[in-house]
Amino acid sequence: MDAMSQLRRQLHEHTAYLRKEGFLDDQFEQLQKLQDENSPDFVVEVVSIFFEDSEKLLNNMARALEQKIVDFKQVDAHVHQFKGSSASIGAMRVKNVCIEFRNYCEAQNVEELFGCRCFRCIQKLQYEYALLKNQLEYLFRVEQQIRAAGG
Amino acid sequence: MGSNRAVQEAVSSNPSVTPQIVESTEALTVILLISCWYIAMINRVERHLNLNTHAFHSKLLFEIEEKAKFLHPINSSATNLARVLGSSLNGSAKLSFSEIETRVAPVLFQALSTVTYLSQISYIGLEGLFFSYYTERNQTFAVYSNSSFSSDRSDPNVRKNYISYIQSVNNKTGKLYGKAIESPPLSMINTSWFQAALNSTHGYASVETGWNNVGDLLFLNSARINGGGVISLGFPVEALTGIFTSMDRQDESSYLATKDGKVLIDQGLPNIHMVLDNNVVSLQLMKPNGDQIGRVGNVSCSNLKDGMPRASILNIQEKEYMFSCLLLDIVGVPSVYLLGFPQNGLVSLVHKNKKVALLLLILMIATMVVSTVSFVLIIIRAAKQEMHLCAALIKQMEATQQAERKSMNKSLAFASASHDVRASLAGLTGLIELCYDEVALGSELHTNLRQMDTCAKDLLGILNSILDTSKIEAGKMQLEEEEFDLAQLMEDVVDLYHPVGIKKGVDVVLDPYDGSIIKFSQVKGDRGKLKQILCNLLSNAVKFTSEGHVTVRAWVRKPSLQNSIIASKRNCLPCLFYKNSQAYNDLEAMNAAQQDPNAIEFVFEVDDTGKGIPKEKQKSVFENYVQVKETALGQGGTGLGLGIVQSLVRLMHGDIGIVDKEIGEKGTCFRFNVLLTICENISCDTAKSEALDIEEGCTHQMTVSTPNPGLCIRTPSPKLAIHTPSPRLKASHVVLLIQNNERMRTSQRFMENLGIKVSVVKQWENLPFILRKIKHKQSSGKSDLSSPNEHLSRSPSSTSITIEMDKPLNTIDGSDYILSVFKRTTPRCTSSFILIVIDASAGPLTELCKIVAEFRKGLHNTCCRVVWLEKPTMRSISFKGVEDDMINSNDVIMSKPFHGSRLYEVVRLLPEFGGTLHGNIGKQKRESMPQVRKMPGDHPSSSRIRSYSENYMTQRVELQDHSSSSETPGKKIFSSIQNLSHVRYSKSRSPLRHGKSSKEQELQECGNPSNEKFLSGKKILVAEDNLVLRMVNVSSLSGLGAIVEYATNGQEALQLVCNGLSDKRKHGASNILPYDYILMDCEMPIMDGFEATKKIREMEKDYRVHIPIIALTGHDASSAEAKRTIEAGMDAHLVKPLRREDLLKAIRIIDNKQKYV
Repeated sequence: MDAMSQLRRQLHEHTAYLRKEGFLDDQFEQLQKLQDENSPDFVVEVVSIFFEDSEKLLNNMARALEQKIVDFKQVDAHVHQFKGSSASIGAMRVKNVCIEFRNYCEAQNVEELFGCRCFRCIQKLQYEYALLKNQLEYLFRVEQQIRAAGG
Repeated sequence: MGSNRAVQEAVSSNPSVTPQIVESTEALTVILLISCWYIAMINRVERHLNLNTHAFHSKLLFEIEEKAKFLHPINSSATNLARVLGSSLNGSAKLSFSEIETRVAPVLFQALSTVTYLSQISYIGLEGLFFSYYTERNQTFAVYSNSSFSSDRSDPNVRKNYISYIQSVNNKTGKLYGKAIESPPLSMINTSWFQAALNSTHGYASVETGWNNVGDLLFLNSARINGGGVISLGFPVEALTGIFTSMDRQDESSYLATKDGKVLIDQGLPNIHMVLDNNVVSLQLMKPNGDQIGRVGNVSCSNLKDGMPRASILNIQEKEYMFSCLLLDIVGVPSVYLLGFPQNGLVSLVHKNKKVALLLLILMIATMVVSTVSFVLIIIRAAKQEMHLCAALIKQMEATQQAERKSMNKSLAFASASHDVRASLAGLTGLIELCYDEVALGSELHTNLRQMDTCAKDLLGILNSILDTSKIEAGKMQLEEEEFDLAQLMEDVVDLYHPVGIKKGVDVVLDPYDGSIIKFSQVKGDRGKLKQILCNLLSNAVKFTSEGHVTVRAWVRKPSLQNSIIASKRNCLPCLFYKNSQAYNDLEAMNAAQQDPNAIEFVFEVDDTGKGIPKEKQKSVFENYVQVKETALGQGGTGLGLGIVQSLVRLMHGDIGIVDKEIGEKGTCFRFNVLLTICENISCDTAKSEALDIEEGCTHQMTVSTPNPGLCIRTPSPKLAIHTPSPRLKASHVVLLIQNNERMRTSQRFMENLGIKVSVVKQWENLPFILRKIKHKQSSGKSDLSSPNEHLSRSPSSTSITIEMDKPLNTIDGSDYILSVFKRTTPRCTSSFILIVIDASAGPLTELCKIVAEFRKGLHNTCCRVVWLEKPTMRSISFKGVEDDMINSNDVIMSKPFHGSRLYEVVRLLPEFGGTLHGNIGKQKRESMPQVRKMPGDHPSSSRIRSYSENYMTQRVELQDHSSSSETPGKKIFSSIQNLSHVRYSKSRSPLRHGKSSKEQELQECGNPSNEKFLSGKKILVAEDNLVLRMVNVSSLSGLGAIVEYATNGQEALQLVCNGLSDKRKHGASNILPYDYILMDCEMPIMDGFEATKKIREMEKDYRVHIPIIALTGHDASSAEAKRTIEAGMDAHLVKPLRREDLLKAIRIIDNKQKYV
């Protein structure tokens, strides 16, 4: 029982932490609300799809930026998609980086310098994404533990 | 290199130097020429002079010769006379004296009278007869001897008897008269000249002594007459030589001597005598006494050359003289004339003068040369200096240009570099956060990480300020206008710095001032930049204040005053700026900005009690990179802050300055003003809702029928809705116990402006005393009820409401601002209300609680509420130690910065301002009270309205006040209403909810419970390419009860719609839509949302239906993308991610539209 409550607290605290640090926003809460008996693993499913999708997008972006002549439109499209998906699961920080990234992409024709920025942005994006993934995986692990404990 | 070129340029650019040099050389050549000319001229003059001298000399000699010739005729006068006489005597040789007297004497007299120069004439007979005339001093005398000697000449006796007489002669007749004087006989027969004359036929001339007494030398010219006698004529030597000597010059010396050595003239050189010797004249140097010293030289007169005398040169006394010798025949006497000239008398004069002139000339030339040279030197030096200056100027200019270029490059590099640095910094902070998770809490590493995080954030702040500076420098800063709540903003900023200040022991106070900010709080402007300005000033103030407080206040500048200023400006300025049209236009633009009817000038002040800024530094503080050294020491910072602030303020059409504090006051007060636009629609809304409220209030009042229903007054100001309280009502009393004096002062003033009676407790120890006093008054107040004058006179600041009503309400006054915000309502309780605001940290909490509890015990018929001010951090802890019964259920616990919304909320607790009366009345009522509950802590960061409404929401509203409610019928009705809607109670009650319409509230109220499945039965198509998004959307829609289909792109969606439409037609139900709504993502592969929408719209035309399509995009609602969606024919636009409320709203709008279609 104690372990159970501790786990719950841990979960709660972690969620609060994620909210506070801006990893997640209201949208994630909405997502959690959608989870019911019909789809008990809804959040996990969605997020795992998001992970898959994101990794694909990130790879695509990285590849696009490695090209000699960078097709910024394509990169922009990727970033846009990434932004959309991250927004839909409520990954606020990732979304914000995406917005920043898109600003640079839009300006890329003007200055070559922004090309360099894009690299930095994608690094940041990858970093943020990894961070988010870690956090969410931890969250899910705790949830699973709770569920396993019969909560 | 550069300087050389510069010098050349300078030379070429200075044309005045070269001519000056040329001029000076010309002057030199001119000088040389002059000197040459001078020498030549002198030579010529010399030559001429020599020539002239020679000519003159020869002329002189010639003249002398001529004169001598002129005297020549005199030679023959004697012979001629003798001949004439001889013929008249008829050749008789012997004449008697009487014959002589009668015949010879008249002739002689005639001759004497007629012949010039003749001074003596005589006839001498051989026998001794003798007759002579001579003149002496114009008197003619005759000398004669009438006795002849014996014929025997040798007889000496005879001779002895020879006597001559002198007798005067009549000058006119020649007759003798007077007495004849005997005189020694003149024996002339034996003289050589007599003999010579007797012997020669042509006469004889010699120089002899005259008869007269003086014995003048005479030229004697004698001739014989018939052999018997001799006639002689005597000419005075002086008279003849005078002719020569009269011509004499100064430098010349002339000597005349007869051939036989008689010197006639001896003029000229002193001590020089001439001796004639056989045609050779020797000059002898003589001593003054007559002794001869030596010979000087000889001049030969014998050989004449060309008739001209040859000149011989002698050196006398070291001076060269030229002597010329002339042979003259004067009255027949051969003589020599020696003429001596100084060899070069004139020439030497010339030479002497020449030297002087040359000296003068040289002097002149020298001065000229010196002056010219010095002039040239000065000119050259000046030119050099000028060249140096020019070179320096050029260098300087180059340097300046370079510096400017550098600065530009630096700014650019700055901007780009800070972008990069920011990215790296973001990485750093991210990594630090990452590390946070993995490190054990409380470990050293954790502390380090936290410090690193702080450092990184500081760095980011500095970087941002640098970036701002470069942005401002580049002029790229622009205002981003948006609507915001100014009061909220200010409170946020102050709350942000409150903890920082508290940490340092400085209280950060938000001064409501005249409340004008609350009235005009909905404004449009650049929120971010205004916040930046306030943050910057506030952080500075907190940073440099070590004790005391920091006050932030803001107010609206009176519009009337402003307008009049502008008007006066307009009157006078056009004439001033008439010429400068640019400036005038600017001014116009400024005026236009200021005259925007909605633009209002807001003045902000940040006042601290720190070290202050020295007067002389106050100006430079706003320059970039300037810090006041003494105070900034050890505080860090870049010195950019105030520069940025100033730029930002100017960007917002304002200005910033330091307000002079009074002497003795510490610290600095920054004041700035900005122009912000008032949001019209909001204020309209407020007005409307307020009007509604007023109506409500009135009707309410009517129904409850207060003792004085006629007192519902509609004031001319639409915002003011003051319900006069019943005259029997006692004003509420507020007791303030706040640690910080400034905060206490501002709160007190604010409340007093509202007409609230305020008591201030400075020390917690005084609290019981004050409370006792109040209690005493309350208890005695019952008797005072009939005389309201008592409390009117108590203090002018706690003015009663009736007094305030007397004021003209349309004037905008400080208190009116506040009154306009806080609507007064009639309290439904005649019992007085006491609000105690206690700073929990002002004293030991338990003590305070005890005091309050003690106070409560003795209260009768008086509501009492306590507001506890708590530090946000120690909230839950501090109250744990307090017993439950110490704290009343109605007590409010607030986190600390007691200003802004918290202050207003406290004011609203008062019955006049809409507060409810659930104070406990008397101790006996406490039993029936519900369990003491602690109120949940409000979030200090949450918005002011929500936090408090939430407070009230959770607070269970119970009506325990039966006794009081029974007193007024209105109260009962009201409380029943309260009971009915207790959940939303606070919201509907809150008078400040002017922003939200009742409709919206209703929507929310009815929405939430029924919302859950508001889409049940609806068929929705989701077109979304992104899997995650699709899943989320689909499940959230199905969560709302909808039947969801999905498509992965526009093409699929189109196909589905097409199929659906045709299916419906097949079933004959073409008017039923295949999908109730379509959620369309815009950016999809194969076919995007815009195109799909267009196609669907075309397709539906055939079926005469309209399927609502809602666009889902990742773009802002205001962006161009959003507009495109509407243009493409979509009905609504939602921003990703999908939110329930938004969807709900959109669907509602669409439904409404369709109803009317």
